[in-house]
Amino acid sequence: MNTKKEYKYIGKSVPRIDADEKVTGQARYVSDISMPGMLHAKMLTSPVAHAKIKKIDTSKAKALDGVVAVLTGEELDYHVGLYLVDKRILARDKVRYQGEPVAAVAAETLEIAEKAIKLIEVEYELLKPLLDVEESFNEKENLIHPDLGNYSHLKAAFFPQPGTNICHVSKIRKGDIDKGFAEADVIVEREYNNPSVQHVPMETHGAIVQWGVSDKVMIYTSAQSPFTVRNLFCYTFKLPHQKVRVVVPYVGGGFGGKAGIHFEPLVGCLSRAAGGRPVKLIATREEEYNTLPCRCGLKFKIKTGLKKNGKITAQKLVLLWSAGAYADYAVNVTRASGYSAGGPYYYENLCTDSYTVYTNQVFGTAYRGFGHVELFWGLERHMDLCADKIGIDPYEFKKINLLKPDNTTATGEIVTDSSGSVRKCLDAVIKEINWSGHKTNEEKITEIKSGKVRGKGFAVLHKAPAMPTNTSSSCVIKMNENGSVILNVSATDYGNGTYTPLTQIIAEEMDIPLSKIHVAFETDTDRDPYDWQTVASRFMPMGGRAVINACNELKKKMSEVAAKVFECSQDDFIFEDEKIILKNNPEKFIPYEKLATGYVFPNGNAIGGPLIGVGVYIAEGLTNLDKETGQGLPAFNWTFGAHGVEVEVDVETGEFTVLKIASALDVGKVMNEASLKGQLIGGVVQGLGTAICERYVYSSDGRLLNKSFTDNKIPTAKDIPNVFVPIFIETPHDKGAYGSRGAAEHPMISVAPAIGNALKDALGIELTEMPIRFEDVWSAMQKEKTLVG
Amino acid sequence: MLNSFSYYKPKSEIEIIETLKSFGDDAKILAGGTDLLVYMKQQIAGPKVLVDIKGVPDFSKIDVDSGGNLIIGAAVTCNDVVENQYIRNHFPVLATAAKTIGSYQIRNRATVVGNICNASPAADMAGAFLVLDAVVIIATEKGNREIPIKHFFVGVKKTSLQQNEFVKAIKVPADYKDAEASYLKASRIKGHDLGTCNAAMSRSKNGKIKIAIGSCNITPVLLPDFDSNNIDLANILTTAMNSIKPIDDLRGSKEYRKHLVQVFIKRLLNGKGHSH
Repeated sequence: MNTKKEYKYIGKSVPRIDADEKVTGQARYVSDISMPGMLHAKMLTSPVAHAKIKKIDTSKAKALDGVVAVLTGEELDYHVGLYLVDKRILARDKVRYQGEPVAAVAAETLEIAEKAIKLIEVEYELLKPLLDVEESFNEKENLIHPDLGNYSHLKAAFFPQPGTNICHVSKIRKGDIDKGFAEADVIVEREYNNPSVQHVPMETHGAIVQWGVSDKVMIYTSAQSPFTVRNLFCYTFKLPHQKVRVVVPYVGGGFGGKAGIHFEPLVGCLSRAAGGRPVKLIATREEEYNTLPCRCGLKFKIKTGLKKNGKITAQKLVLLWSAGAYADYAVNVTRASGYSAGGPYYYENLCTDSYTVYTNQVFGTAYRGFGHVELFWGLERHMDLCADKIGIDPYEFKKINLLKPDNTTATGEIVTDSSGSVRKCLDAVIKEINWSGHKTNEEKITEIKSGKVRGKGFAVLHKAPAMPTNTSSSCVIKMNENGSVILNVSATDYGNGTYTPLTQIIAEEMDIPLSKIHVAFETDTDRDPYDWQTVASRFMPMGGRAVINACNELKKKMSEVAAKVFECSQDDFIFEDEKIILKNNPEKFIPYEKLATGYVFPNGNAIGGPLIGVGVYIAEGLTNLDKETGQGLPAFNWTFGAHGVEVEVDVETGEFTVLKIASALDVGKVMNEASLKGQLIGGVVQGLGTAICERYVYSSDGRLLNKSFTDNKIPTAKDIPNVFVPIFIETPHDKGAYGSRGAAEHPMISVAPAIGNALKDALGIELTEMPIRFEDVWSAMQKEKTLVG
Repeated sequence: MLNSFSYYKPKSEIEIIETLKSFGDDAKILAGGTDLLVYMKQQIAGPKVLVDIKGVPDFSKIDVDSGGNLIIGAAVTCNDVVENQYIRNHFPVLATAAKTIGSYQIRNRATVVGNICNASPAADMAGAFLVLDAVVIIATEKGNREIPIKHFFVGVKKTSLQQNEFVKAIKVPADYKDAEASYLKASRIKGHDLGTCNAAMSRSKNGKIKIAIGSCNITPVLLPDFDSNNIDLANILTTAMNSIKPIDDLRGSKEYRKHLVQVFIKRLLNGKGHSH
C-alpha cells in the first residue's frame, strides 16, 4: 500500500462519478426497466395484526380477464430468512402483522392486478396481538412463532428460546458486576425508549424477476447486496448459485432497508406461476411503511455504579429489542449493539443482557447505525444523568471514563494507538460549541424571561461493522486498449458514494488520470466478482484494500513484461504518468496502453496479453463471541465520534431549533473530502429526523396508524440546523485502505442524545423517549416543574 | 391507482353548471387537484366525471372590484396569492397563511378556494378568510349567491354548497384593506405539515377584533367579535376555550392544542403573529 504523506488524488474533493446521469435523470433504476411480455404484480396485505388464516378464496380474482397468476401462502412451502429462517414468502396458516402479504397477483396491467386483489376473500380468526415488547417478553402461552424451535438458524451466533417469543439472547459478562456495584458510592438507574421508524429511501423497493426455462432465474432488484440476494434466493428454493443471476441497477437509497432479501422470492414465484413471463413489483410508499421492514423498537434499562470522584465501577444493561413479526436483521442488531452496549467507555465490570423479542408489528431490519442510534440515545442521556447525580461536569465525567489505549473493550479487545480516539473527537466538538459548563440558575432565569432559551449538549459514539468473521471483498480491474481501466466490484454504490474514492485509489496507485478510470454501475452476479454485502460501513476500508491489491497485481504483470522488454529485473520499475519507467534510466519506459492488450516487439512478436488485475481482501483474526460471556474479537475496526449541538427553545410552546451541530469522526483517513462531508451531513440530518419527529404509531389492535408522509414525518430543508461543522480526525487504522475507517452510519448515531442533553441544559427537562417532539418538550416542562414553570 | 373517469374542461360558468347538472353526484369540481387526486388514488373518492374549472379565464384572476373589495378567483393558486404584490401590501395575512400550505410544488397547483372547499378543520386559509369577514361567491343555476364564510363550513370536509353549485371566487371586503391581521400555525416539523392547530386575528378600523381557530373543532371556528378598545384577555381566552373541542390525535394532544391556542391568541394580540 502507498503510504506517502502527500497524495495526488487521495483525500481530494473529486466530484462524484455518477453525478451527471443522476442529475439528468438518465440513471436507470428498477422502475425504469421493462421487459418484453412483462406482467405487473400487486399484493393483498393483512388488515389485522395477529390471526389464523381460515380460508382464502381466489376464484374471483383468477377469473378476472388479464390475470395470469394468483398465489397464496398455501402454495408456497418455503422459508426465507437471514440468520433465523422464520418467514414465509406469503403468510401461511397465520398472519403476524397488519400489512403482511397474504396473496399476490400477476396481471397484464397494474390496474388489473389491483382490481384482482380486491376480489380475493380471506377469512381470519383473530388472535390477541402482542404489541408491547415487555408483555411479549414475558408471554409463554400466546406465541407469535409456535415453531420457533424448528427454525434453522446460524448456531454459532444466535440463540432462539423455543416456547417463548424471544428469538435471540446476547450476553456480555466482564469483571464482577456485584463487586462493582458494592464499590459504588451512587447508583443511577433509568429506562429509555425508541419507537420503530422508517428508512424512507427516495426509491421504494422494487424487483423484476423472470423464472426462465431450466430454472434459470433473472432478477433485477433495488438491493444493496446482489450476492446476498442470490445466496438467500438459492437457499430458499434450493437452486444452484450458477443458475441465478442478480442485477442491481442504480439504487435510490437503502440505509439498511435494502440489505438482505425482500420481494425477490415472491416475484420469482409469480413469474414461475405465470409460465416464465417476467413480473414486476414496485412498492408504494404506503407498502414501504407498512409491509416492508422498518427499524426495530428498543426499550432498555441502564444501571450504573459510580464513585464520587466520577469513576464508573459497574454498569448493567437490559435491552429488549422489538423485532416485530420476524427476526430478519433484528437478531443481529441485538448481537452487534449488545457487544458495544457500553459505548466507548472503560468498564472493569459490565453486564449486558440483550433480547430480541417478537411482537405483532411491522418487522425490523438493518437501519443506518444498526442498533447504535437507539442504544446511544439512552446511553448518552444516561451518562449526562450520571454526571449530574455526582455533581461533575459531563465533559469532565466523560474524560474520566472514556476508552484509552491499553483499556479493554466490553468483549476484551485491547485498545491500541491505531484504534482511533474518541477523546480527540469529543475535544473537537467541545471546542466548537464553546462548552464551559452548565449555565447557572440565575443565567437561566434571565434568559427565560426573553421567551427563548439556549442550551448546549454533546454526546460521543462508536460503532464497528457488524459482519461475519470471514467477511470478504474482491474486484477486477481491466485495462482497455487506450490504457484506461474499468473496475468491477459487486458492492453497490446505492447513494453512499464509495465508487468515486475507489477511482482515486486506482489513480493514486497506478498514476492514471481520473478521467480514464470507470467503475461499472449496474452490478451483476454473472459479471462481477464476489462481495459479501454493502452494509456496515465496511466497503471503503475493506473493498479499498481489494482495489489496492488488484492495482498491485496489474503492476506486477506490467513489470513481468517490461522486464523482458528491457532485459532487467522486475523490481527495477516505477509507475508514473501512465508509464512503466526504468528506475535508473527514465529515458526507458513503456506507456500503459502499449501493454494493455499485450506488448508487441518491433518485429511483430507479442508477449503478455490483456491486462487484468484481480484483488481480494478478507477480514482476518476475528472470532465468534462466547455464548455466555460475549468475549472475543468481533470488530474489524471501531469508528469513534462525537456531536456537539446548540439549541434554542421557545419556552411557551416547546418548539426548538438546532442552531448548530458540530460533528467529529475519527475516520482514519479522509479519502474524498467533499463526499465524506456529504455523507456526514446527510447522516446528521437523518439522525435529526429520528431525534425530532419520526415514529410508528399503532392502534390498540395493532394497525399502523401513520403509513404515509401525512402523519409519518421526516425532516425537510426547513428543519435542518443553520450551521453544520464537520470535523475529521485522522488516526490511521492499521488494516483499512490508506488507514481509513468506515464513516457511513456513524454521523447518524448520537445526534438525538446531544439534542436531549442540550434541552436538559436549556430547561432542566429529562427526556428519555424518542422522538423529542415539540409537544414532548412542552409536556416535560409541565411535568417537571422546572425553572420555566 | 385511479379509476377511470371522464374529463370536461368547460370554457364558461354556464357550461360548468350545465355539466354539473347533467352528471349530478357523479361529477366533482377539479381545480388544483392536490386534495381530490389523493382521495381518488386512495379510493376515498371515485367521481365518474371531473369538471375542470381552469378553462374559465376569469377564475385565474386576482381583482379589485368597483367597491374596492378583493376578489380571488377559484383557480388562483396559493403561490399566486403569496407572490401577488397587492395582496402582500394590503391583505398580507392571506399571503402568510397561503405560504404555510404544503410545499412550494404543492402551492404551485393548490388553489386558495380549493383549500376552503376541501373544508378541513385544519384548512390554513380558513382562519385568514374568517377574520377578514370574507364572502364566498357561489355560482348556481339561478345566478350567483353570496354567503359569509362563517356560514360556509358545516362539518368535517362538509360545506353548505348545494347540488349543481360551485364556488367561483372569494371576496374580501374593502373594509379590511390595510387592517392589522395575522396568522400563527403550529406543526410537528417546520417544513410542510398539517397544522396541529392554528389561529388568526384581525383588528378592524372600526374597533372590532376577530379571532379564528383551526384544527380544534369539526370546522374552523370564528369567535364572537371583541372590542379592540377594551381588551379583556381573560374573557377572550375563556371564550376561546369554550368554543373549541380539540381531540387527541397523531398531530397533538388536546391539552397541547388548548395551550397553543392560548399562547397564539396572546401573541396575536401583542402583535407577535409571525409563524415559523
